Amino acid sequence: MTEPVLEAHHLTKVYKQRRGNDVVAVDDISFSVQKNEVVGLLGPNGAGKTTTIKCLCTLIGPTEGEIHINGADAIKSPRLALKHVAAVLEGNRNIYWRLSVRENLEFFAGLQGLPIRQVRSHIDQLIELFQLKEKERTEARKLSRGMQQKLAVACALVKGTEVLLLDEPTLGLDVGMSHELRFALKEMAQRGERTIIVSSHDMSVVQDICERVIIINSGRIVTDDKVSNLLKLFQASAYRFEIEGRLDEHQASRLQERFEMLKISEPDYHTEIEVELINGSQIYEIMEILKAGDSCIKAIDRREPDLEEIFLKIVKGGAN
Amino acid sequence: MRYLVLFKTMLKQEFILMRRYLFNFISGLIAIYIIFLLIFLGARALGGGAPGFGATLDAIVVGFLVWTFALFAYSDMAQGMVREAQEGTLEQLYMSPLGFTRVCLFRIVSSFSITLTFNVVILLLMMATTGRWLHLDVISLLPLILLTLAGVYGIGFIMAGLALVFKRLESFIGILQFAMVGLIVAPIDRFPILRYLPLAEGSRLIRGVMAEGLSIGTLPIGDLLFLAINTAFYFGCGLLVFNLLLKTAKNRGLLGHY
Repeated sequence: MTEPVLEAHHLTKVYKQRRGNDVVAVDDISFSVQKNEVVGLLGPNGAGKTTTIKCLCTLIGPTEGEIHINGADAIKSPRLALKHVAAVLEGNRNIYWRLSVRENLEFFAGLQGLPIRQVRSHIDQLIELFQLKEKERTEARKLSRGMQQKLAVACALVKGTEVLLLDEPTLGLDVGMSHELRFALKEMAQRGERTIIVSSHDMSVVQDICERVIIINSGRIVTDDKVSNLLKLFQASAYRFEIEGRLDEHQASRLQERFEMLKISEPDYHTEIEVELINGSQIYEIMEILKAGDSCIKAIDRREPDLEEIFLKIVKGGAN
Repeated sequence: MRYLVLFKTMLKQEFILMRRYLFNFISGLIAIYIIFLLIFLGARALGGGAPGFGATLDAIVVGFLVWTFALFAYSDMAQGMVREAQEGTLEQLYMSPLGFTRVCLFRIVSSFSITLTFNVVILLLMMATTGRWLHLDVISLLPLILLTLAGVYGIGFIMAGLALVFKRLESFIGILQFAMVGLIVAPIDRFPILRYLPLAEGSRLIRGVMAEGLSIGTLPIGDLLFLAINTAFYFGCGLLVFNLLLKTAKNRGLLGHY
């Protein structure tokens, strides 16, 4: 186990309101991220993802708690912490639209105090990685939204910080561009050179590039686990039965009474039952119900849930 | 070394943006010149034949020059910050490990170099139009202009800080530009208390150099000291208030929101 490069302890952010209806955006959350780990931050709208990310990059002062980035106290010494962290917020709004691709990259390196001669080859690599070579002399305003977002990520990377925070990097992109940006992020993650925290609504991005996921709801962490563990856990409990013909009314009502997470569909001349089991023995109960109605089971298989499904279950409190 | 890199970066960006916004730069130049022409023609129509009109013209040229300098200084700071917030780059500037205040200061110095070019052109146009060729003692003028403008930047810092917290201050910021005219023409000789306001004393001393042919060495040391203290006060207060408002914006999560 490597040492944590980012640690948040009891992070709390309360927005004071005039009439006393204070809003708790982040509610006592703690987590740490290891060096070169790629972590997804998920949560519904208003869950506190962006506030958390903005606290981590010192843009918002937390009400309580501590943040350490590479050993630097981000609250007491934000400038020291900012040597180690870069962020992309709100997609394509983090770049200068009147500067070209290369000029933007040079500007953001300079903002970090890095001379051009020191970063020239890095800039070339980033232009290659994000497939911006043909547009390197084009002003950012003339690029497509996807290219602008890729440039924004490249501008954060050129700073050479150990930690990179990405808030909704694929927001507003079409499928093709989202896939292209995801590919570049995945390649960057696979190189293992950076510690990355990605907040996104796009579950496929998180499932694709993150090893671990932290799910936040109402300002609190509800799940913090490896993506593979979550997928395995939900895979083990999700079953699909294919039955010849239809279920009778009695069978359907017994199944619905007994299993909360159940979906019965009747495509063509057969019936499909999708069910989440709390424990393994419940499978025998289903068998008995089916046997009682002389239903013929054509197939049983374990369903492959995706992260989106898992996320919805966790957030809605349906997961046990 | 890293600070030098930051300064060069800000300077380069200013020059690139000036090149990209060349039309804006030239149209600004024309607009300012037209405003001057209107003032000049109006003044000539009213008192063109009067004795001492030449001195009045000198005062108009110098006053107008100081106003354009002050206008750019103020709007660079206040409106520039609002623009960065609107465009979403303010947060990135804030995240520079070299310090946001330093980033702002380097930006001021960089944009001053552009303003200087602009104002030299305006001054030459004004002198050619009026036929009044003023004393251009650069050694005396440059420090006086810088000292005078530093106070204006202080006010700009306060406005920028207010805009970060309260938003939608564009009209207020815009109106305040014209209040500077009052400060430049403040009758300090009749009401010495007006010296304590920003711009007023500096503008008087610049007029002394350009219109009366004085040099920085011949100006009363007490006046120069007063200008330095006055500027340090407004600039210092501006920075202090800006940092306090920045902290407020940060605590309320308003940085970058617009």
